[in-house]
Amino acid sequence: MVQTMNQTVFRGPQFRVLTDSQIERIYGAAIDVLETVGAQFHHEEALDLFRHKSDAVVDSDNVVRVPASLVERALRSQPRTITLQGRSGKHLLRMIPDEVAFGTGSDLPFFIDRTTGDRRRTVRRDVCDAGKIVDYLPEYEFFMSHGIVTDAPNPQTYDRHQYLAMLETCTKPMVLTSVDGEGLNDLWRMACLLCGGPDNFRMRPQFVAYIEPISPLNNDRTAVEKLLLAAEKGIPAMYTPCPSCGATAPASLAGMLVQSLAETLMAVALCYLKQPGTPLIMGGVTTVMDMQTTTYSYGAPELSLASAANTDISKWLGLRMFSTGGCTDAKCLDEQCAAEQMTNLLYAHLSGANLVHDVGYIGSGTIASLDSLVLNNEMIGMVRKFCAGINTDDDHLALDVIDEAGPGGEFLTHDHTFRHWKEWFLPRLQDRSDWDTWTADGSRTIVDRTREETDRILAEHEPEPIDPAIYSRLRKIVKEADQRHS
Amino acid sequence: MSTSSTCSQISEALIAGRQEELLKHIHSALEQGTEAEQIMNEGLVAAMDAVGQRWKAGDMFLPEVIRSAKAMSGAMEIIRPKLIESNVKTMGTFVIGTVLRDLHDIGKNLVAMMMEGAGFKVVNLGIDLEPQVFVDAVKEHKPDILGMSALLTTTMPQMGEVINALKEAGIRDQVKIIVGGAPVTEEFAQEIGADVYAANAAATVDKVKAMMSAA
Ligand code: B1M
Repeated sequence: MVQTMNQTVFRGPQFRVLTDSQIERIYGAAIDVLETVGAQFHHEEALDLFRHKSDAVVDSDNVVRVPASLVERALRSQPRTITLQGRSGKHLLRMIPDEVAFGTGSDLPFFIDRTTGDRRRTVRRDVCDAGKIVDYLPEYEFFMSHGIVTDAPNPQTYDRHQYLAMLETCTKPMVLTSVDGEGLNDLWRMACLLCGGPDNFRMRPQFVAYIEPISPLNNDRTAVEKLLLAAEKGIPAMYTPCPSCGATAPASLAGMLVQSLAETLMAVALCYLKQPGTPLIMGGVTTVMDMQTTTYSYGAPELSLASAANTDISKWLGLRMFSTGGCTDAKCLDEQCAAEQMTNLLYAHLSGANLVHDVGYIGSGTIASLDSLVLNNEMIGMVRKFCAGINTDDDHLALDVIDEAGPGGEFLTHDHTFRHWKEWFLPRLQDRSDWDTWTADGSRTIVDRTREETDRILAEHEPEPIDPAIYSRLRKIVKEADQRHS
Repeated sequence: MSTSSTCSQISEALIAGRQEELLKHIHSALEQGTEAEQIMNEGLVAAMDAVGQRWKAGDMFLPEVIRSAKAMSGAMEIIRPKLIESNVKTMGTFVIGTVLRDLHDIGKNLVAMMMEGAGFKVVNLGIDLEPQVFVDAVKEHKPDILGMSALLTTTMPQMGEVINALKEAGIRDQVKIIVGGAPVTEEFAQEIGADVYAANAAATVDKVKAMMSAA
């Protein structure tokens, strides 16, 4: 039998923003920033770690400068793969380069009310509903709260209430925001109840802790407190800069990438000093400030471009990547919304980022919408089809099929069609009908159909319940936190 | 050269954000005996109004607007003492800060810069501030307006705490209070007893000016 040799096959379209030489330049510049400019830390233990456990320099204004050697030792200690697990054990999420998972974002203060269509404050119930949708829809692999629980008894414990609400309706792995170290510790204790203890958590974490520096090059006390706790407990963390070009970072994307990378590498170094091997995921919502409205833009093409560039850098460094997509500056599900969400979904996937978050955000990261989550599921499906590329093996080349059909033949009745058409993307919400059929059906738009689908999921989907004994112990942790803060 | 042509040169330089040139024109106008009040009204304020309008119309953008605002702030350093000397009412003092446990400051700083651009003397207190810091600042700077910024639903209530603290100190009535930030709404501002809510930096300037002229 003839055997094919020396083939190079693309498993999907190839996409890169930066070459290795460009990344070298950015990395070199970031190291330069770390060695000469440094970053400020408002946390004693962190400063002590730098002072006493490394050859970093701590200046009098708490600015820490670290040498390349420390950064590179720290980078080498990073695990190349991280696997998360949902509470029921059914959903595993493995992070290796170029495997792409999608998920929501967190903490949106406003919510589009499904009865009035108006914007109102987000409450616990909304987070439960978002969880249900994410639990049900196949294109979402992880869950962030989408909205923020504003009806918690105390703002200082909202994070525990929020996690419990998320757990009630969603069995997928999660990314969690927290108030401070104490809050994160409670979230970790809750997760340990679900997975059977700290050792199991370390092996198969149930969530990633979302933490942010303050660009430019500043690290506040609570962020560092969370980072050090994560290192201690083996909680994977992401330290995601949110620079807005032209305001808290250079207006040039390359300059912003240098600064963000320096911020990330500083955290990698700190975690290494606390506990080598602490999984630190690179990330960021890297975008521009709109110079007409002052908005931190979630729909700008620069967001996609910079995120994809960051993903290239993450792969080169051997770090996992938390990217951004499926978000928009539009206030409702209109054409702008679809154009922006689709664009940043597509480029985030093409770039090969591990966790693509903020899917479903509208209103520049201030408004949550369940319909937007449902619509994005459809768009991710399209993106995934595109990104799966083209198979060119013998069966797919279909030489025999073309031969059989011959000139003027047909394929509709062919077995080959019957076997292969299911590889195509199957629209659920899009309309491809003819004019007459469409008008006879009430000329409904994709937004109408999306709303119906959201209603259906909310009415029909029943997430796997939490064991009542464990649930009451989870509640106890939340209650105790409320008592401590009352 | 006539006073009006000097004022239009001042306006031009300010709109273009050319601070050095602006200060040169102001000095020469003063030397020629032009009143500070006239420089302010016909030169500076008129120009900043135009900047505001052009910004809204999409003919100017933030980096250009900020340049003008910074130049305005420099000009006011010279003009303000002269206005006070001749007993002319100045635009007033604006104190602003981000509330306790909130570290967001980009929007707050923009508001501060725009208010400088509108001719106010601005005291920017910083971020993560205890209510007492606001109270002390009101006592110390005697501002016409106190501004508070909060970007988190969890820190928004702190703005109410500050207002309560001002009441307790018996000085709530001495200032107008304006609040803003992504999760803040008109409704919330009313709930906590603030005087004005503004959704963005440009609206802040408009609303404050309207409030000042109504007073
Ligand atoms: C006095 O009168 C006035 C009048 C008008 C006023 C005014 C005062 N103040 C503001 N205005 C108005 O005029 C300004 C200019 O036009 C406008 O100001 P803005 O500040 O709105 O606009 C700026 C020019 C641009 N906008 C911004 O700069 C804010 C953008 C977003 C993305 C944002 C950023 C950048 C950051 N963040 Co934060 N952050 C978000 C923001 C999402 C969003 N779209 O708002 C928001 C506000 N953050 C959020 C969160 C959750 C957090 N953030 C945090 C941290 C940060 C960074 C440090 C990374 C960074 C801030 C950097 C800095 N130096 O400020 C954390 C909290 C830290 C803390 N304790 O404060 C953390 C809690 C995350 C965490 N768990 O670690 C969310 C709030 C959730 C909620 N419901 O409360 C959030 C909506 C994003 C999200 N969707 O998750 C108007 O609001």
